[in-house]
Amino acid sequence: MQLCSWWGDHLVVYSVRKIVLESYPVLPVCAIISLLAGYLLNANIEEIGKIPLVLVMVPPINGIGGNIGSILGARLASALHMGTVEPRIRGQRVLSGNIKATVLMSIGVFSIISAAFFVIAYIRGATPVDSIELMSVFLIAGVMLVPIIVLSTVALAFVSFARGLDPDNVVIPIVTSIIDVSGVTCLLIAIKIIGL
Amino acid sequence: MVKEVNVRAVVVQGLSILLLCAIIELGAGFALEGMKEYIIGLVPGLIVMVPPLLDLRGNINGALASRLGTALHTGVIEPRLAMTAELKANIISSLVLSFTASATIGLLSYAICILTGAKTIGVLSLLTIVLIAGFASGLILATLTVSVAVISYVRGLDPDNITSPTMATVGDFITIACIYAAVLLVG
Repeated sequence: MQLCSWWGDHLVVYSVRKIVLESYPVLPVCAIISLLAGYLLNANIEEIGKIPLVLVMVPPINGIGGNIGSILGARLASALHMGTVEPRIRGQRVLSGNIKATVLMSIGVFSIISAAFFVIAYIRGATPVDSIELMSVFLIAGVMLVPIIVLSTVALAFVSFARGLDPDNVVIPIVTSIIDVSGVTCLLIAIKIIGL
Repeated sequence: MVKEVNVRAVVVQGLSILLLCAIIELGAGFALEGMKEYIIGLVPGLIVMVPPLLDLRGNINGALASRLGTALHTGVIEPRLAMTAELKANIISSLVLSFTASATIGLLSYAICILTGAKTIGVLSLLTIVLIAGFASGLILATLTVSVAVISYVRGLDPDNITSPTMATVGDFITIACIYAAVLLVG
């Protein structure tokens, strides 16, 4: 289905019908993926709950991950509509610039919030070694999440645009749902790696 | 038309907004933890639809924010707070989606409660709560989304960097507040 009409002056023309028809089927799919994330959390709640502070890490890691995916998704959608990015991988300077910026700000934000977790743990009476371990859990989980965010966002933006859908309508909902599942998974893997 | 990405500007804008949102998110994590007991005790069945409702709100507004970013960049929507046909189509479609998707989630939550044998209030009360909360939060958030997108664009910031993260974070608070208000209204 053609979502945007390109008129002489490169105008995107929005219609309520098109936006609703394109967005509505995506929302239950996202709800189901998010339910999976809830189920994953519920199934591992014993393991997560016995380590203090790890449960508190769930909303921030999903929130930050979703926000990073949303920024990249919105930027790619605008770039695809303006024609500065084309839906292919090779020879794309604007695409690689966007990915570079995304990776840099991800590493920045995950490092700073990890440091915040060190401080919170230490204030709450954890030993310095335990605080460093908790900080490392968040940092490792965050760094593992970055390639998942970048790959899923770029893939969804390209596929949806190439199929004539408006990436503005589909990328952010699906990417944030995928990140809800991956964020919890990355935290669980990071706990295993650190050996808590 | 910009053919080059200003990586520095993206990182500076993105990082500041991400940090701000992360701090608020941390607060929300602790706050939700404290309110959980209250919600479960007050209205059985309601807790099932809180996470999907929050997600739904984020998704509808994220898409609206993303479209507004594109529309501002391509010049389809002028950076003024005036109701044009394009802006109206964007806002109305978000409200229609809010209404229909909230109803779907209300019905799904009820079905899940019945299937798993969890305690729940009647389907009509549940639907009334979810529709009031969905529509009220949809209206407030659509207005805020448009304002944040237009104001950030006017100030020389890229709305693609600012709007979605801000609205995802603010949206969680407003949606929870609207669920509370709807519960109080329905009694």
